[in-house]
Amino acid sequence: MTPFLLLQALVLLGLIVTAVLIISFKDLLAAALAFAAFSLLLSLEFYLLQAPDVAIAEAGIGAGLTTAIFIIAIRGTQRHEEKN
Amino acid sequence: MKMTKIVRTTADLFFPFCLVFGLYVVVHGHLTPGGGFQGGAVMATGTALLLVARAYDDVTGRIRKGAMKVCEAAGLLIFLCAGFSGLFAGRPFMANWLAPDGALFRTSIAHGPNAGDLNTAGLLPLLNVGVGIEVLGGLTVILLYMLSGIKEEKKK
Amino acid sequence: MRNVLFSAILLLFFGGLLYLAADLPFGDPLRTDMDDYFIRNAQAQTGANNVVTSIVFDFRGFDTLGEATVLFTAVLGVGMMFRKLKEGEEYEND
Repeated sequence: MTPFLLLQALVLLGLIVTAVLIISFKDLLAAALAFAAFSLLLSLEFYLLQAPDVAIAEAGIGAGLTTAIFIIAIRGTQRHEEKN
Repeated sequence: MKMTKIVRTTADLFFPFCLVFGLYVVVHGHLTPGGGFQGGAVMATGTALLLVARAYDDVTGRIRKGAMKVCEAAGLLIFLCAGFSGLFAGRPFMANWLAPDGALFRTSIAHGPNAGDLNTAGLLPLLNVGVGIEVLGGLTVILLYMLSGIKEEKKK
Repeated sequence: MRNVLFSAILLLFFGGLLYLAADLPFGDPLRTDMDDYFIRNAQAQTGANNVVTSIVFDFRGFDTLGEATVLFTAVLGVGMMFRKLKEGEEYEND
């Protein structure tokens, strides 16, 4: 297996792990940060597939702005998910 | 939720670098990967960093809502004016009439891989700058509106 | 029991999808006429080194105009939602 394929497999595995983390965290701030990590790994995957334009857009919008909007929304409400 | 001093100092340090990198991506849109939308998003990320780290009242001195609204409208106007300028040159709407023999951005390039020159590509740099300004203004205005809505609810 | 059944159906579905998609050629489109045209002529016609930008802003300029308009309209909508209330005006309850 070439190092490139190994790197791509690692990034895809990380995508699945972070996606599971997003829905399993009860702390909403931690979930938002896991979403930022997911977006960063996704932009790395776009870069590996030789689409640098999409990678920059994903890193800017997904990892930066969406996380900021989530954090602002959490600041206005409450941080922990309620048990039911 | 108040951010710590470490977060605030880091955001203050990062803010100008984010703006400069976004400006670089916008201006070099016709040479390197990226363009108006991506560069504007990077610049808006810089302002979002500042907005997350600080309270609304601390930020309004550096990022003004009115200026950002003007930025947004001006960006779309630049784009439309650049598009309509093709009509005055006797070419169709949005035609790249500056590219071969205009007054600005007219240097012609060789086919194939080359070093690149900022003074090329005719209308494309103008359109890039217009979209970049519009995206910066639009996304920042959305963030500012949301942040101001939160402040009102806390006061009640 | 229902969860197990649901998971089995989901697994079967995605397994079949993956099995079918494994045979598709990747990075090898069926028709490449337009791609070849853009790669050969974009630098000469627009003078831009970045072929992606020359497509987004020149060959497909109307799409970008629409995208800019969509962003402008979205910001207008957010501004209407979060606007300041006038003196004596209240939120509508229905």
